[in-house]
Amino acid sequence: MALTENRPFPLGRMLLYAACAPILLLLVLPTLIIVPMALTKGQLIQFPPIWISIHSFTDYLADETWVSSTIVSFKISILAVVIGATAGSFAAIGLHKRDFPGRNIVAGLILAPIIIPGIVLALGDFLLLAPMHLIGSWTTIAILHALLVTPYVFISVQTSLTVGLSPTLIRSARSLGAGRLAVLRFVHWPAIRPGLLAGAVLGFAVSFDEVVLALFMQGSTTVTLPVRMFQAIEYDLTPKIMAAASLFIALALLGLTVQALTAKRARPA
Amino acid sequence: MSAPRRLEVNEVWKSYGGDLYAVRDVSFVLEPGEFLTLLGPSGSGKTTTLMMIAGFETVSRGSIRIDGRDIADQSPEHRNFGIVFQGYALFPHMNVAENVAFPLRMKGMGKRERLIKAAEMLEKVGLEGFAQRRPHELSGGQQQRVALSRALVFDPDALLLDEPLGALDRKLREQLQIEIKELQKRIGISVLLVTHDQEEAMMMSDRIAVMADGGIVQMGTPADVYLHPATPFVAGFLGETNFLPGLCQGASEGYVSVKFRNGEIGRARPPRFGGVPATGDKALVSIRPERVRILKPGETMDSVIEGRVVSGTFLGRHARYIVEAEGQQVVVSTTEWSEATAVPPGTAVRLGWSSDDAQSLADVKV
Repeated sequence: MALTENRPFPLGRMLLYAACAPILLLLVLPTLIIVPMALTKGQLIQFPPIWISIHSFTDYLADETWVSSTIVSFKISILAVVIGATAGSFAAIGLHKRDFPGRNIVAGLILAPIIIPGIVLALGDFLLLAPMHLIGSWTTIAILHALLVTPYVFISVQTSLTVGLSPTLIRSARSLGAGRLAVLRFVHWPAIRPGLLAGAVLGFAVSFDEVVLALFMQGSTTVTLPVRMFQAIEYDLTPKIMAAASLFIALALLGLTVQALTAKRARPA
Repeated sequence: MSAPRRLEVNEVWKSYGGDLYAVRDVSFVLEPGEFLTLLGPSGSGKTTTLMMIAGFETVSRGSIRIDGRDIADQSPEHRNFGIVFQGYALFPHMNVAENVAFPLRMKGMGKRERLIKAAEMLEKVGLEGFAQRRPHELSGGQQQRVALSRALVFDPDALLLDEPLGALDRKLREQLQIEIKELQKRIGISVLLVTHDQEEAMMMSDRIAVMADGGIVQMGTPADVYLHPATPFVAGFLGETNFLPGLCQGASEGYVSVKFRNGEIGRARPPRFGGVPATGDKALVSIRPERVRILKPGETMDSVIEGRVVSGTFLGRHARYIVEAEGQQVVVSTTEWSEATAVPPGTAVRLGWSSDDAQSLADVKV
């Protein structure tokens, strides 16, 4: 192992890099051109952009419809994460090391929303909720997004529990006088925290840029940011789209940073 | 420190449904300040018994009492036992002081007071400088001491130890055995230990209850169960022994006479239970290797049999002879050994033992 790494030109490694580089470029390039395109002087999206102005950002912040879409998106994603994180965590705790008939069916149902094609889910929900006049409300979208967040939290909390929770730890806490709530707080909570955070960050990302459900459920006052961008692409090609896209990139970077920092802290010395 | 209490386990059974019993008719009393060990192989029901006392397993039949009060309906958090589990089970996100103070916190004690009590407890186990460390920063032995402190800090009715030293290496294990025993005497707490390690049980206990197949086979002081085992299982489980089969030739003066395969007759203590076997019944005598002697010419003992030395090995602390006698191999262990007096293989010898050191066994399926 050490020998291979010390060789000046390990052929295998060079080939690996050569194969990976174009794939990596293809993955990152679309993201890299977003911010420069947002900095254009022009009134339309174009490549290459006409350097350099921040008018797309100021226009975006001055436009009431764009701002309200941004706020709606945040409201939806935050509520979806709160519901999904709670449901996903409790589901993971409830199913941890339990065996009962139908356990796999329950786990399958929890995971179903991310396995079923989005368009099928959206259509089904639309047909179900339209007669009940629930379309067009941001809470409806949030609750449906919570269905998408739950599996991600469920999976990551499940992993945390497998790593960090032993039945002996629970017994130990109980023998020391901890009731059910205290066990939840002092044994389960510290064990699930890293998984909960990772799942919540991922879940927020999934909800924030979800288009299909948001499109089906939209109302006059509940157009989420990605839906607004989608429609703007069709009608006016305004650089505000690029400003909004920059926001998505910033959020993604923030989420990754938070995760990297907490993962480092959680690792035992 | 509050006075320890009397723990009484009374005709306790545990079944997981059907006729299969994990624990059958177990009764014992853990007297205040006593160190009692449940010793047995895996599957003997010892851990299940401990878990029923702790409240993690329900009792199918029988009662468990503290000072006469039945605790069967109390959940584990309302019972008052300090338990040290296999693998320590310390809270990884709390430091040592917080771990030890945890049971006091659960009892609603204020932060200052409980940290003071935790510090006092840590001092007793020699960990005063480690309060701020996290469990993963400690060695196995130190973690064990933290677990012990945490189980003792809240004045429990008794200390329950579930194979607490299983994960440690031999040397550290012996050191901790002495420390635990010493701490137990100093604090005056009752201890119930569960282990499969017979040396650990002998070293630490006031009394040992040997378990097999869910029940207690024999209970007594370490010397009593070691020297006077009741059954072949107990004799074999607690160290090495010689089993000599034969036929009972009658009983007299509190001993039984057994006629071995070669027609020689030896005397032994009568079985611990089941009564004295009738003349002509099959008998099995157990004699520890260190209780059998190779007799010098002219020397005699209560029981003497003849044999021939097969091999002699010097092992440092003692020497070990294998002697062919009564159609089988008899192991003789002795500390009297020198190059000059060693008995060479092939020598005809006489083996002897005192009738009090030989134990006729009950429950013999020959």
